[in-house]
Amino acid sequence: MKEKAQVSERFREFKAELTSRPSIVLGMGLRGFLRLLSLKNQWILALVALIWLWTLGFYVLLSTGDYPCENLFGGDSSEDFKRCQPLVYYNDLGLGGVRLFLVTLAAISSSGLIANDMTDKSLHLYLSRPISRMDYLIARSIPVFLLLMCVTALPNLIVYLNQWGEAGLEFDWIKNHKWLLLDILILGSFYSASYSIIGLTFSTAINRESWAAGAFFLFVYGSAIIIEIFYLIMLESGVGDDRILLLSIIHLLDIIGFYIFGTQPFFTAFGIEGIDIADIEVFGVFILIIGSCGIFVNWMISQMEANK
Amino acid sequence: MIEARNVIKKYGPVTALDDFTVDIPEGKIGILGPNGAGKSTFVKIALGLIRTTSGSITVLGENLDRNTVDIRRKIGYMPEHDCIPNSMTGVEFLIEMGLVTGMSLQSATQRTHEILGHLLMGEEKYRKIEEYSGGMRQKIKLAQGLIHGPEVIFLDEPTSGLDPKARQEMLETINGLTEVSGTNVLLSTHILQDVETVCDHVIIVNNGKLQMQENVKKLMQRQTDVIQVRIGGSTEDFVKQLKKSGITATSSGRGLHVPYVNDKTFEQIVNSAVKSNCQLYEMERATTTMDNIYLEVVD
Repeated sequence: MKEKAQVSERFREFKAELTSRPSIVLGMGLRGFLRLLSLKNQWILALVALIWLWTLGFYVLLSTGDYPCENLFGGDSSEDFKRCQPLVYYNDLGLGGVRLFLVTLAAISSSGLIANDMTDKSLHLYLSRPISRMDYLIARSIPVFLLLMCVTALPNLIVYLNQWGEAGLEFDWIKNHKWLLLDILILGSFYSASYSIIGLTFSTAINRESWAAGAFFLFVYGSAIIIEIFYLIMLESGVGDDRILLLSIIHLLDIIGFYIFGTQPFFTAFGIEGIDIADIEVFGVFILIIGSCGIFVNWMISQMEANK
Repeated sequence: MIEARNVIKKYGPVTALDDFTVDIPEGKIGILGPNGAGKSTFVKIALGLIRTTSGSITVLGENLDRNTVDIRRKIGYMPEHDCIPNSMTGVEFLIEMGLVTGMSLQSATQRTHEILGHLLMGEEKYRKIEEYSGGMRQKIKLAQGLIHGPEVIFLDEPTSGLDPKARQEMLETINGLTEVSGTNVLLSTHILQDVETVCDHVIIVNNGKLQMQENVKKLMQRQTDVIQVRIGGSTEDFVKQLKKSGITATSSGRGLHVPYVNDKTFEQIVNSAVKSNCQLYEMERATTTMDNIYLEVVD
């Protein structure tokens, strides 16, 4: 009886020590990331493995010395080679198929995050906790962000380490190439954050996981194929306008990717075509798309808060 | 506990709360009103989920104009509808809710098992929630609101969709858990019996306005035994005659309510009707229940 009374007393006196909002958000995000990597998500694990295998293939290609990176800039200096590598990684692997896997991975991993909370209505429970709507959205985007970082920044970091190894593992090489390290991380973060936000938008708009994934894929990859074909036809007929590429998310992100490395954007078709679009147009379209996604998701969730 | 001052909430052309002013004391408080009265809107405003169109609201001493998020550390919330992820077990779900509230893993785990112990859940707590009955799901939903030891829990229609037995169990669980944890309760419902069972104070809301605020015990005392009388002729004369016999009749819409003392009261009513030249159409013993009081207030 005494023990029971003590348990009841402890239960009555219980006041939880609650952590800060950023810690809650980070915790939610990390738990979501670990859930994505659980064995239940076989498709996600398979895609990550596929991308990593492709990367391995790329290393082999690099090591043969036949990789025509210097052609991109019309020079053969080793500095150009190093500068272009991460870009080439995305560009060529994109043509080779990795971008297909990357977009598929983003579509599959992001589609359920908000859609599931909306379907089972647990969103109401999360939003009744001491976190804001924005906190919730950040927490839900962290798992996709981290997963995509694993297949964007991480392989490039391995390329970087590979180059360091070729340079004799000298610390001076790292000091001289801090910019490259920073650019790789910015590029990975940029791709990951952009795809996370777009993915969560589809997850919110279409609250059925498989449909949301399909819509995301068609919107991102489908539009890229159509725009690319259209662009090539225009190019061949001599009436091309590079701005049409801004209508494709993939190309828009790639163009900004080039900017991150401080290089001229290019398009690989029958040869290498330089892309000529004003910076303000590129960033304007990007802000418009990401801003619209953010406003839409926020609005959708506020509607759910108000309704049952 | 909650002070609302001239709160107006509009959804487009619809006014959900109309100049709503109320002081809600600590304890177990019921918000009673028909569907669409503005109960859930008030609860969501008090939780900081939606903003008022105008007016101010203070919860546990915190003004919600300034702080809509951190106040939820002190509040638990049990929504009306089913909102539990089926893919988790009861234990996993409660721990997750504890973590999302900001508890440490150790604290959330310990508290989860304590609460589930109070809910008398054994091995089933390790089963997927999709296998739970409606009553168990409601209990888990209640438990998640109490996981962090809040000062007050908002319960939105907690017995909605339950059969009578499960409903009774749920009410007992609410009483038991909130009693043992010393938590204040704000219970939003349209079911009178829920308020009678759980609450010690009731607020009746209709059309977004406060209609009545009363102690439940006092309200129960107003439940009286009466004789429903319908007459033809001068009601005024009839009431005067009754008064001479020491009986005070009150108007009740279609007729009069005469307090029942004993069977002689029927005789006195007949005599008063004869003396005041009134025709006695109906004379029937009835009880004024909380239902009648509620309907009178709402109508």
